[in-house]
This record gives sequence, structure tokens and C-alpha cells, in this order.
Amino acid sequence: MVKDITIFTTGTCAYCGNVKTYLKAKGVGYKEVNLDLEPERRAEAHQISGALTVPVTVVTKTDDSREVIVGYNLAKLAPAIN
Amino acid sequence: MSEIPKHDIVMVGAGPAALTAAIYTTREDIDTLLFERGVIGGLAAVTDVIDNYPGFSTGISGLELADSLRKQAERFGAVIELGEVTALNDEGKYKRLQTTSGEILARAVLVATGSDYNRTGIPGEQEYYAKGVHFCATCDGAFYRDKRLVVIGGGNSAVQETIFLTRYASHIDILARSTIKASSVLVKELQPFIDQGKVSVNLGIKPLEIAGDANGVNKVLATNKEGKKVTFNTDGVFVFIGLKPNSDFLRGSGVKLSDLGFVLTDDNLETNVPGVFAAGDIRSGATMQIASASGEGATAALKIREYLEGRLHSTKVHQLEVIP
Repeated sequence: MVKDITIFTTGTCAYCGNVKTYLKAKGVGYKEVNLDLEPERRAEAHQISGALTVPVTVVTKTDDSREVIVGYNLAKLAPAIN
Repeated sequence: MSEIPKHDIVMVGAGPAALTAAIYTTREDIDTLLFERGVIGGLAAVTDVIDNYPGFSTGISGLELADSLRKQAERFGAVIELGEVTALNDEGKYKRLQTTSGEILARAVLVATGSDYNRTGIPGEQEYYAKGVHFCATCDGAFYRDKRLVVIGGGNSAVQETIFLTRYASHIDILARSTIKASSVLVKELQPFIDQGKVSVNLGIKPLEIAGDANGVNKVLATNKEGKKVTFNTDGVFVFIGLKPNSDFLRGSGVKLSDLGFVLTDDNLETNVPGVFAAGDIRSGATMQIASASGEGATAALKIREYLEGRLHSTKVHQLEVIP
């Protein structure tokens, strides 16, 4: 079961919009960290994902295990939120 | 077993060509389903600023244009499914599509899958993908504030994305194999950054390897026009070296492709498989312009309507009879 979801985004990233659209369509809530507005959190996104890219979607389960999806990747995102 | 869903039209892709076509078809209450495996709006959506799409006197961001096209299509009833079409088979009246959501049937199909950026294929490109090597400046540029960058390519995309990246990077080396082939308007926009010393244009450069260490990319090894080895120190590399068609799912479908993998169509934008049409960047002969893609989408929609009404091929036969 999903406890919460955080998406690291930027204002110009079209793929970030896709992740948000997908989660909205599935009726799943999320918190967004826009790195243009919070540039000091870039290192956090990099550290979590190991990548210099957005979107980074962090799905935290009720048992506090965490799944990190880098990019717009439905094959990983869909099972992660179920 | 549940019945396989049937639609009048399935559009593969949801870029400007398909979204424009969907505006036309749904406005006439033709049942239309779009499948998009990547980003809604296609490559247009990941372009920073679009200055040459008619109707926007001061330009428009790619993301805004894509969002507006999507909303307009959805206003008339278009349904966009986020998923991938993996195969297409012609069964006469219906085309059978394999998708990540299962099988569907369509009376007509519009292939509008567009293109993706080419890869260089040089060592390091795959190894450092998203960890120093990137193909989307609007997605990943923000990680390079006050860093040095290399942009590989010399066409419109390379120059446009370089201009975008100047808002973050301290310095950008453009590496072009021959010359800068971007439009004169873009070159003019780039010039002030060259004058400021923020961008250096390096011509006749052939990249050989993207190298780095555990911390990420730190240089690009290349040869210059004299064939001598040169090194460009950098924190990241953005690659924009042309486009490759997204037509792999059509292999085995019977739809004819050009040698480069683009879809061949006739004057009606119909492929050799009746009822399967193509529009936009995926089509052989496309101009790779957003305005052209939209125009082709509108044309395809009207031709598909004729096809669904049984008028398209009867017109062709009539033309054959009257032309000596």
C-alpha cells in the first residue's frame, strides 16, 4: 500500500507533467518538489535517484519501504502505485 | 471472455499531428482514441520556446502549446491513453492493435508516432545516460547551474537547446561535425552568448568518447578537422544530432517504410494498407515542423473521415477513370 508520493520536477519538464497526469488519472495524491523553486533540493533529488534528471518519483509504502522511479516510466510507475 | 474494444479511429501518438487530427475527428463526433507512450505533445512539448507556430506573435513554450492542443482535443471528446501500441495487423474492416492495455480494434488508424533524438553511439553515452548525458534540456538543464556543458550537434535543436541551457550553465561548448546548420534566426539568437564568451562553437569536431569517473562525466574526447585528438572538459553532455522515426511497432504490419524507417504514404496520407494513415514527423517526406505536423493532422482527419464513409477509395477509382 502506498503511504505517500513525492515527485521532483522542474517547471519546463514535459515528462513531469505526464507523471502528474497519470497519478491524477489514477486518483493518487502526491507532493511536488519543483526544483526551479527549490534549487537547494537538487542534491537531494540526485542523491535519491543517482541521476541528474527529472521527474524523479519517490513512492513510499506503508511499511516505509521506498521505490524510486527515474523519468516517465509507466512500466515501473504503474506497479509501484498499486 | 470480454469483447475486444472497438473504435472508429485509433491514433498512435499524441503529438501535434495526432492532437490536431483528434480535434477534427472528435468535433465531428467520430469516436477517437489516442495512445501515447511518451510525452503528450511529443518533441514539441520538450522544446523550450516555439517561435514559428502561427498565431503566437511572441512565441509560445512547447509545454504550453502541447497542453493547449491536448485540452482542445479533450474538449471535443478525445480520449488519450498513456500506453504503447506494440503491433498492428490489418484484418480488413478492422485493424487489430496490440497495446500495453490489451488488444483493441480500429476501423482506421493514424500513425503519428513522430521521431526521437538520435544517439551518437560513442562509448560513454549509454553508461552515463541521465548521469551526465542527456537528450532533454528542458528536463535536465536545471542540474547544471554554474557548470560547464557540451552540446553535440549543429542543427536547429542543438542551437535552440543551447540557448535554453545558457540560463543555467557557466559555459557551453557546441561540437558540430561540419558547420552550424540551424536557421539564421536561431544563429542570430545564439550570437550574443558567443560574444559574451558563454558559448563556444567548435566546427569540424567528431566526438569519440564521453569519459568520466564515479562522480560523473568530466570530458568529451574528439578529433578536430585536422584529425588531431582534442579534449573538451565538461560536467555534462546534451546530444541533439537529428531524429530517428518511431516506427518499430510497424515492422511486420505490412505498412511500407522508407529505407530510413519513415512511413510511406500517398497524396491522401494513406499508407499502402487501406485505412492506415500517417501524419507528422513519422511520415516520409515530412518537413519536421510543428505547423506542418498540425496541417498534416488536419488533412489526415478529413481523409480518414472519407475513408470511414466509404468515399476515399471510390474517389481514387473515379480519378483513375477520367485521367487519360
